[in-house]
Amino acid sequence: MITVEKLSRRYGDVTVVDDVSFEVRPGRTTGFVGANGAGKTTTMRMIMGVLGASAGDVLWNGQPITADVRRSFGYMPEERGLYPRMNLVDQLVYFARLHGLDPRDARSRVDELLEHFDLTDRGGDLLDTLSLGNQQRVQIAASLVHRPSALVLDEPFSGLDPLAVDSMVELLQQEAADLPLLFSSHQLDLVERLCDDLVILSGGRVVAAGPVDELRDRGAVRYRVVMDDIDAAWLRDLRGVRTLDVDGEEALVELDGLQPAELTRAAFERGPVVEVARVHQPLSDIFRESVR
Amino acid sequence: MSTHTPHPDQSSGTRAPRDAWKVVARREIDVQVRTKSFRIGLLVTVVGIVATIVGVHWFQNRDTTQTVAVVEPAAAAVVKAADQLAGDDTLTIRSKDVSDTAAAERAVKDGDVDAALLATDDGYELVGERDIDATVQQSVTAAVRATALQENAAAQDVDLSALDAGTTTSERLLDRGADDGGLRQATSFVFVLLFYLTAIVLGMGIANSVTQEKESRVVEILAAAVPIRQLLWGKVVGNTALAVLQIVSYAAAGVVGLLLTGQTGALDVVGLPMLWYVVFFLVGFVALASLWSVAGSLASRTQDLQSTTMPAQMLLLVPYFLAILGGESIKTVVSMIPVVSSMMMPARLVEGSVPAWQVAVALGGTLLAAVLLVRVGARVFERTLLRTGDKIGYREALSLAE
Repeated sequence: MITVEKLSRRYGDVTVVDDVSFEVRPGRTTGFVGANGAGKTTTMRMIMGVLGASAGDVLWNGQPITADVRRSFGYMPEERGLYPRMNLVDQLVYFARLHGLDPRDARSRVDELLEHFDLTDRGGDLLDTLSLGNQQRVQIAASLVHRPSALVLDEPFSGLDPLAVDSMVELLQQEAADLPLLFSSHQLDLVERLCDDLVILSGGRVVAAGPVDELRDRGAVRYRVVMDDIDAAWLRDLRGVRTLDVDGEEALVELDGLQPAELTRAAFERGPVVEVARVHQPLSDIFRESVR
Repeated sequence: MSTHTPHPDQSSGTRAPRDAWKVVARREIDVQVRTKSFRIGLLVTVVGIVATIVGVHWFQNRDTTQTVAVVEPAAAAVVKAADQLAGDDTLTIRSKDVSDTAAAERAVKDGDVDAALLATDDGYELVGERDIDATVQQSVTAAVRATALQENAAAQDVDLSALDAGTTTSERLLDRGADDGGLRQATSFVFVLLFYLTAIVLGMGIANSVTQEKESRVVEILAAAVPIRQLLWGKVVGNTALAVLQIVSYAAAGVVGLLLTGQTGALDVVGLPMLWYVVFFLVGFVALASLWSVAGSLASRTQDLQSTTMPAQMLLLVPYFLAILGGESIKTVVSMIPVVSSMMMPARLVEGSVPAWQVAVALGGTLLAAVLLVRVGARVFERTLLRTGDKIGYREALSLAE
């Protein structure tokens, strides 16, 4: 488990990351979201140790992290970095060897990854002859080549079409299912689909953090009621309910004292019902509310 | 980014991959050796060295014939005597009969003969078009004089051998090497030139590879994988190995050229300095390599290299010019200054004998400088490699390293 504890980074008088704390738990995907310039990349670089922290600590399983542990992490920097004029196999073997794999192990691991990533045929090709999507896959492969103990991926899905995103997600689930995985993104729908935990950063500070479900349930629970051929306006007069919106046969309400079962019964007593359903607050709402 | 810049946590590694530098060095070598320009450049230079030695040797030792047009048989006899007097195995002087003076001059003008020997009232006249071969001129002059003397002596009834007694001067050299001045000068020039070219081409290569890693951002992955100083060591070791490979190839080509032409005497003269040359090059290049790497890490883009590599370029350019143009005393001083001595000292060693203490000062100083530059270089490298966006000055870089 990676624990970020009161991490700060200042450049002169400007504080870019301010007292940031959160956890990345094994087997759980943690989404790191925030507007551009919120401090996501700076925080990730500090976790990886390629940037020094002005204050605060990074812990690994409760202990201060060492350089060795950091080197066992897989890292994908925000600005993609590979050798453009080197072929895939040589390139990945090089990274594996730098991480201490012996030549044979490095080679077999690279072959295995290329196969998983559907790139076996391209192994001898120079990186810059590959499509952007494939280059991104190689970048992910580079972060996995040494069988990392955790993954820190900065915007791993940016620039990919939806299908490429799906296959990348599949690969990550296959390769890193039980690792602590932190990835940053500003594609909220994607984060919503993939993440177990969420950390929202704004202006260098954590404004919300925790399991996605909990964050969603933090606000009052909402229900949508759809009647059959009856105007839903009657809900305005129902006690213990706050009506947020009524549109013909459909209404959005928040319970204010009434139990869900009582709402359902009241609806049936009124007439034919199409639907009474709990409405999950979309992540984009949580995000907007958090950073406001 | 002004006041307090925390450093990346690179130095606290306890059990860092200790031989990551070897992996880096191997990649540096692999990448270079695979480029066409490296292989072709090495091949062309090696072939060029052998060809130059063989060519110069052939040119100096080829058989030549000089033809002199004559009208009278007496002149033909003089030319024959001149050929014997010349005493040069590779030069033959022979005569060609023509009908008269006009025909002789025409032959010279047309290039049929190299010169003409024509009788005048008080002896002979040697006629050439623009110039006359020095050996031909000397030996013909001597032959004319000897022939005339002999005739005059006979006419006066004088014993010429008695008159000539005690006029010979023979020659004996105590230091046989002393007449190798030309060879020594030429070798010293080639040493300096190849040192300069190899060091600047490979040095620029190092700086370029560092900057490209910064530009392509791969450096972030490298820095997350291994301690940054191991990257520097790997680059220094890999490129030094390549540079020494080149210099040893050049030296070997020189030896092959001399052996091919049977100039084993020349090998006695330049053999030992050649070994010194390789040793000095090795130490000097290590010192320079770390400077080139730092130059690369200070730049953010390839364009910045022009200015960040200036100190390393100067360290090569200044001794290069001094070695070619400088006087004896300047060379003596410069050949003992650390780093720049590595180019100058081998040049001095081949030009003549150098006191052992001066060689020791030069080598010791450069060794020390190499150790120091690699250490300071590693600190600067660590602080600057991950900084992108702007070019970093040397002063700022050094203050970061403190």
